[in-house]
Amino acid sequence: MLEIRCPYCGNRSQNEFAYGGDATIKRPELNTEVTDQEWDNFVYYRKNPRGNHLELWHHISGCRQWFKVHRNTATHEILKTLEMKENL
Amino acid sequence: MKRNSPLKNLHQTGLYGNYKNQNENDLLVIREITNLKIFQIVQYKSSTLNIDSLKLDGLSFPVHAGFVEASDTTRVQWNAPNTWIIISSNENIIDDIIKNFHENDFAITDQSHSRAIIQIEGKKALDVIKKGSPLNLNDFKKNNCANSIYHGITISIDMLDDDLNKFNIMALRSFTGSFHHAITDAALEFGYKGL
Repeated sequence: MLEIRCPYCGNRSQNEFAYGGDATIKRPELNTEVTDQEWDNFVYYRKNPRGNHLELWHHISGCRQWFKVHRNTATHEILKTLEMKENL
Repeated sequence: MKRNSPLKNLHQTGLYGNYKNQNENDLLVIREITNLKIFQIVQYKSSTLNIDSLKLDGLSFPVHAGFVEASDTTRVQWNAPNTWIIISSNENIIDDIIKNFHENDFAITDQSHSRAIIQIEGKKALDVIKKGSPLNLNDFKKNNCANSIYHGITISIDMLDDDLNKFNIMALRSFTGSFHHAITDAALEFGYKGL
């Protein structure tokens, strides 16, 4: 069980959160030509690294805010949590 | 308008669980709280209004997580950034809200019919909550609140009094049955008085 520090509410149990995927993925720009490969990469392809990873989490049973978690996927250590507008 | 109690056919008065050989005055008390007005107020991201300048029923709006501003009739809970829950026994609180909170800056939702509130009070109230919720309540004080879960049900906990260990726990109305069962089941070990 992880203890995750919500940037708004403080430390809470993982039970209150939902995982939201890779936080480094960017949607292709609107109103531009997008190749099938670029769209494929956006929708399906993920790196799944062993080590530090920037993730999206949702405090679904708390303040219902989305935020970023910098987490080590091997040790599960949470290095930092950030509001959506913040960058590492 | 009188609201239908979500627990009308579930919650019963009387003594339950391990109440024997205990002083009735020391028993845990579980009661349903009904006929309150509940509103959610959300300040739009585009709003430039300073929330410190607004008051409702003489109460300012807490800007820090987990705090409640309270009077005899109304409680203003911090629910999320720029989001507050108003719980009031003042039937006309909506008039004050509409007067003070302009629709260009705030989204106001009446949730009076969509929530169930169970109040637990007594020395063992903390233990009952701890049996079902992962929230750290060790530093919880009067007029603190938090959203969390209780046996998988999303709840909002509001501490009314830290001397009496009195909590209002609010859940979505559709979860009332499971929520009441989970709370009373956890309380059987200590014995409780249903009021």
